[in-house]
Amino acid sequence: MAKSRKKGMSRREFVKAAALSTAAFGVAPSIFIPRQSSAASKEIKILVWSHFVPRFDKEWFDSFVKSWGAANNVAVTVDHIGLAEIPSRTAAEVSAGQGHDLIEWISPPSQFEPSVHDLTDLVKEAEKRFGKQHVLCRKSSYNPRTKKYYSFCPGWTIDPGCYRKSLWEKAGKPNGPETWEDLLTFGGKIKKDQGIQLGIGLSQELDSNMAGRALLWSYDSSIQDEKENVVLNNKNTIQAVEFMTKLFKEAMVPEVFAWTAVSNNQALIAGRASYILNSISAYRSAQKEVPEIAKDVYFTPALKGPRGTRWNSEHVIYNYIIPKHSKNVDTAKKFLLDLVANYDQAMYFSELYNSPAFFDAPIPSGDRKYPSVKGAKKLRDLHNTWFDNDPFAIAGESAGKLSVLKDAEKWSTNVGHPGPANPAIGEVFSTFVIPNMFANAVRGMKAETAVEQAELLVKAIFTKWRKKGLVGGTK
Amino acid sequence: MNSGPRATGTSIRDRADLLARIMITPAVLYIAVMIGFPFILAILYSLSDATTGDPTLHIIGLQNFRDILADPVFRTSLKNTFVFALVSQTLVIVLSRILATALMADFRGKWLVRFLVMLPWTAPISLGTIGWLWMFDSIFSPIDWILRKIGLLGAPGALLGPMQNLYWLGEPFLAMASVVTVHVWRLLPLATVIQLAGLSSIPRDLLEAAEVDGATALRKTLEITIPLTMPIISIAFLFGLIFTFTDMTVVYVLTRGGPIHMTQVLSTWTFFKGIEGGDLAQGAAVSLFMFPVLAGIAILVLRVARRTEVV
Repeated sequence: MAKSRKKGMSRREFVKAAALSTAAFGVAPSIFIPRQSSAASKEIKILVWSHFVPRFDKEWFDSFVKSWGAANNVAVTVDHIGLAEIPSRTAAEVSAGQGHDLIEWISPPSQFEPSVHDLTDLVKEAEKRFGKQHVLCRKSSYNPRTKKYYSFCPGWTIDPGCYRKSLWEKAGKPNGPETWEDLLTFGGKIKKDQGIQLGIGLSQELDSNMAGRALLWSYDSSIQDEKENVVLNNKNTIQAVEFMTKLFKEAMVPEVFAWTAVSNNQALIAGRASYILNSISAYRSAQKEVPEIAKDVYFTPALKGPRGTRWNSEHVIYNYIIPKHSKNVDTAKKFLLDLVANYDQAMYFSELYNSPAFFDAPIPSGDRKYPSVKGAKKLRDLHNTWFDNDPFAIAGESAGKLSVLKDAEKWSTNVGHPGPANPAIGEVFSTFVIPNMFANAVRGMKAETAVEQAELLVKAIFTKWRKKGLVGGTK
Repeated sequence: MNSGPRATGTSIRDRADLLARIMITPAVLYIAVMIGFPFILAILYSLSDATTGDPTLHIIGLQNFRDILADPVFRTSLKNTFVFALVSQTLVIVLSRILATALMADFRGKWLVRFLVMLPWTAPISLGTIGWLWMFDSIFSPIDWILRKIGLLGAPGALLGPMQNLYWLGEPFLAMASVVTVHVWRLLPLATVIQLAGLSSIPRDLLEAAEVDGATALRKTLEITIPLTMPIISIAFLFGLIFTFTDMTVVYVLTRGGPIHMTQVLSTWTFFKGIEGGDLAQGAAVSLFMFPVLAGIAILVLRVARRTEVV
């Protein structure tokens, strides 16, 4: 009997063991998890996205945060997450009323306005120290209806056109397209004669959303006006939709309906696109993976529409929120001010992917961990010098390829253009109304019907958010 | 003589009914906390105007349900959810029966084949789907590469067309077929194992008696195997249906509901609307549409299973 009990386990023994295990689990955390050192008098927890440019996090941001914490006697914890996880993680933390003190978004987090601190004082202080904040950053973080800064925007990313010079040279347009009409004429010619399509996404993803808006704005239309009234259904939108239909037929293939956010990068690097709309990340990847393609990639500013208007969307807009549950608001604000003060390093270590919101911010003295730029005093000087003479160009590349990006702030705007970003614009973006409006027409729907359908969805979204008091306008 | 507390302790340990309750309590607590509480919260959210930025509950009645019913994307998602679930589960049941029958036979390397069949079930669904995303890539698809190599694609006069790729996830029909394929690939192992268990439980003497009576393979299948395994087929169908109905990974990773919402399903639309779009209340209302459907299916299939059960 005793032998058999040793081999197996009786019901009583099982109950006892289960109870002991439960007790052990309950006690374990207080035994095994070491408490944090209380050497630092303050603490702050930061949640940021994993930057597209790996060296940004590895070689700069994480070490910057560490030294900032040591210099300010603050215990800092940084957590990196993928960009797709940011909305759900923020929602979970806001709902739980606990979590990080600072959360970085790469789109305007306007829907979180009721749960975050108003950062008007921080923006005022930043402008006092670093000069005027760029208007697209302001429009991506400020709600004119409630007169609150729901987030703080230290930087953004340019979204130029990227084209393959050799293909465009053969087509008779060596400096690439200047207008949307050029895309149709020469892009179509390249596809017909050289067998290479161009790629403007018509899919349910980020880049297609931005490309669709760029076309809409360049055709003098938009989703909302400056006062946040819905104005989508108009003759200019219909004209833009009809143009996209022609462009698809002449110069594209159905791959654009299936694209993810990286597909246009892949198409360019694989030599399967004559033109895409993307940040310089596609080109940077090509420099590392297929240098021959990289050497052939050149850039254009926003393309002009039929009446000369030209706008591209920002590609990424960096926005930090401080949730109301944070108990370290002042420390978080100090961190953000110091981040702006060191944005020269953000620009360099992102390989010029990041552009500053405060172009007039002074460059700190001392060793900045990058080759010093003679005569540069402000971020603007670095911006101009580096785009004129790319420090990351590979051997054999033409100088000044990035020069067209110097004045990008003149042809770049926010997703709510000409109005501000707001929760309704955010939901229209997240539910892919605009790329689907174009895609519907390309698939054979009448342009007028595609626009009407999109307007129906947009109006329902605006009405709903307007009731919550977060969106202005009346119609 | 035992003291009071010890006597009480002994009596608890010896009382099977009480012990059973104690043992089942963690499961009940788990269901209450992890399923019951979120479910009630979802109902409350669906009746409110909560957003991700302001999750306070301000009850507005059935407005969200009226709004989503008026939304064409919701109606497309509802239809797609049914289409994907029913088509993929029908395929899963047919294919798993064929596979299970083949695996019942004795052959060399049977364990290896069984191991390979189980692999898709053991791999995390997100990783598996990312693998399929590459298979269906608009430029680098290995399926397209094979089709080009055997002359079915990418040449003038080729059966599937002169273009270099089929654009699996860009053409509405192919995108839907791709989503169904991945669901079938994922759920086939579980259904096969369930069907194998069912086939193994059929008494051999019954089949042998049928053989002696001269029954053909088809008659044995139709009149013995299928009726006897119907309860377990129902269970496999129910499991698969619920998995497919509630899954968002496959559609989210492969198509994000595109092209033009042609593969959008309720679970992904819930996420886009409720989390990414910030409208928690409407997201909750969309997700709750699945509940009565799933509850109805569960009751129906369990009834069928009980009715056809062989005692």
